[in-house]
Amino acid sequence: MVTVNYDSVKKAYGDTIAIEDVNLHVDDGEFAILLGPSGCGKTTTLRCLAGLTQPTEGTITLDGHDVTDVHPKNRNIAMVFQNFALYPHMTVRENIGYPLKVAGTSKEEREERIDEVAEMLEIPELLDRDIANLSGGQQQRVALGRAIIRRPAVFLMDEPLANLDAKLKISMRSRIKVLQREMDITTMYVTHDQEEAMSLGDKLIIMDKGHIQQIGSPDEVYHQPTNQFVAGFIGSPSMNFVTVRREGDRIRADGAPDAFDVELEAEVADRYRDHDAFTLGVRPQYFEVHTDRTENAIEAAVEVTEPQGDEQIIEVEVGDQPVSLTVVAPSTIDAERGDTIWLTLDDELVHGFDTDSGQRIVGAGDQNRGVASTPEGEMTSD
Amino acid sequence: MTTKQDTHADGLPYKEPSGVEKFQETLREYGVTRTVTYGLLGVFLVWTLFPVYWLVTATLKTRQTLLSFPPQWIPLDAQFGNFAQLFAQRPDFVQFIINSTVVTITTTVLATTIGAMAAYAFVTFDYPYNLDFHLPFYILSTRFMPPIVTIIPLFVIFRGVGLVNSLQGLILVYTMFNIPFAVWMMKGFFEEVPDSLIESAMIDGHTHLGAFFKIVLPLVKPGLIASAIFTTIITWNELLFAVILALNADAMTVPVGLASFVTKFSVQWINMSVGATIALVPVLLFAFVARQQLVRGFSMGAVGK
Repeated sequence: MVTVNYDSVKKAYGDTIAIEDVNLHVDDGEFAILLGPSGCGKTTTLRCLAGLTQPTEGTITLDGHDVTDVHPKNRNIAMVFQNFALYPHMTVRENIGYPLKVAGTSKEEREERIDEVAEMLEIPELLDRDIANLSGGQQQRVALGRAIIRRPAVFLMDEPLANLDAKLKISMRSRIKVLQREMDITTMYVTHDQEEAMSLGDKLIIMDKGHIQQIGSPDEVYHQPTNQFVAGFIGSPSMNFVTVRREGDRIRADGAPDAFDVELEAEVADRYRDHDAFTLGVRPQYFEVHTDRTENAIEAAVEVTEPQGDEQIIEVEVGDQPVSLTVVAPSTIDAERGDTIWLTLDDELVHGFDTDSGQRIVGAGDQNRGVASTPEGEMTSD
Repeated sequence: MTTKQDTHADGLPYKEPSGVEKFQETLREYGVTRTVTYGLLGVFLVWTLFPVYWLVTATLKTRQTLLSFPPQWIPLDAQFGNFAQLFAQRPDFVQFIINSTVVTITTTVLATTIGAMAAYAFVTFDYPYNLDFHLPFYILSTRFMPPIVTIIPLFVIFRGVGLVNSLQGLILVYTMFNIPFAVWMMKGFFEEVPDSLIESAMIDGHTHLGAFFKIVLPLVKPGLIASAIFTTIITWNELLFAVILALNADAMTVPVGLASFVTKFSVQWINMSVGATIALVPVLLFAFVARQQLVRGFSMGAVGK
């Protein structure tokens, strides 16, 4: 059981900086997710801990011991790769038992542990099969088996579900979560899929362009994003961003000042008193859709509707120089292309971002707002 | 409903085959394509295999029937004594075979091992100044010049250090000449092994050396065998260096022995045919035994993901 600590870790390839100024801490038994778009440095961050990539600067400690220059084989870590990286010339049994074989564990103990792990992953019947004859999901389980058989101090996973189909992904996701909870092993998990990240992680580490943008629980990053990048990256469909001008308590959209002209509650508007112009961020779920003219609403023309079963995603345009918005509405709302609808804002749930720095504008005393409601993609119950 | 985009210029929803395509289809229909293909393959086979046939049948002929005109296509009066006669007349031929075997096996093992390890290093490690990219090219560049260019300096050096007329000298030269080939061939195979397999091996407790022998080599076995066969064939048949660097019977190899049947006064055709046939057997046998691996080796992509 181990804590992980990164202290000012930097990795540069020549002039190209892969990651910089990475400071993070993962608690004992915690499930930490490195999340970000491709090329953001999340895999590099993970590989530094694995010892597969040597940081240019900074130190990484496991339980207070500096492991920055320690060979991967001496770190007591296990890793699951995106392409599973199973040894094609060995059977399932040999693959799972391989780390123990290299470590020189006796054959009897090895066999015992292999059976135990196979039982845990429900693959005892596959043990004597060749790797080439396994499906993607089965290969994934073997890869997990090979990682857990060592009872490592830290468990690393690099997009382990990326190569699986959608249905399998969800079932493997819960299996990984159960496994991690049962074994209580400190875990770092890389993904670009925010839904996967939200459902698995205790702690989300959101990265972009080689820098950590925010570290927080799934709730925190969803409801209190530190900046526009995090706000836009987390949540599906993505948050709407509109550049607005503030006149007293009213805000009007640049490009559609007549159609997008709403009055905010005084308390909310007060947050933005230092900003005459800012970027308004509204999640598609936080609009209320009306089919009749409504007071203090945004008048919008429906471009396209995408039914999703319970709900529908409506793309709308506002104003003459149209501002495009994405809205999630119940499927009971009857909207067709070309219709006019009226959108009201849930004031408490909108965000404002500084247009230059992208930082979220935080008013005094509203650190904890919004957490009470149930957003999309929150942790699935287990 | 058919919209404009769904049709071609002539109004059809599909494209009419061109005249050439129609003609090709007709040829296929009447089996002309197949006949021509097999005909050409047949000509090629005769072209390559007839000399071998002629060589092997020559071992059963007498000097007279071999040189007679019109030629005797099939040896009617088989002279099996020719084989015994070769070893009776040239007892040192046994020594040549032993020499060739020693030189070939040692060279193959050395060149393939060194070549594979070098290739692994080039593929896996990052060297400063981009050397992992440049060095393989320089290694290959040693093969750009005609081999004859290096013979005089090599001979002088070898004479200085006492390697002329020794098997060690030959092994050294052959290993040197085969390594570039082995490096390049193995490089292609190692590039196909996903990096994550090596990384996985390291995390599972291996060093690079361990990962190389336990994980990577078993995966590139077809490549290893293909490159070993190549080295074997090249070394077994090599004449140019051997004829200059190994002139006494202690170090002579089979090709030099065969060349020695051409004397100032005559050519010992029958002995030469028998010797050449014997020389043919081991390489053919080796290639035959390993042919499955060889095909996989040459077609690459042998490593599953």
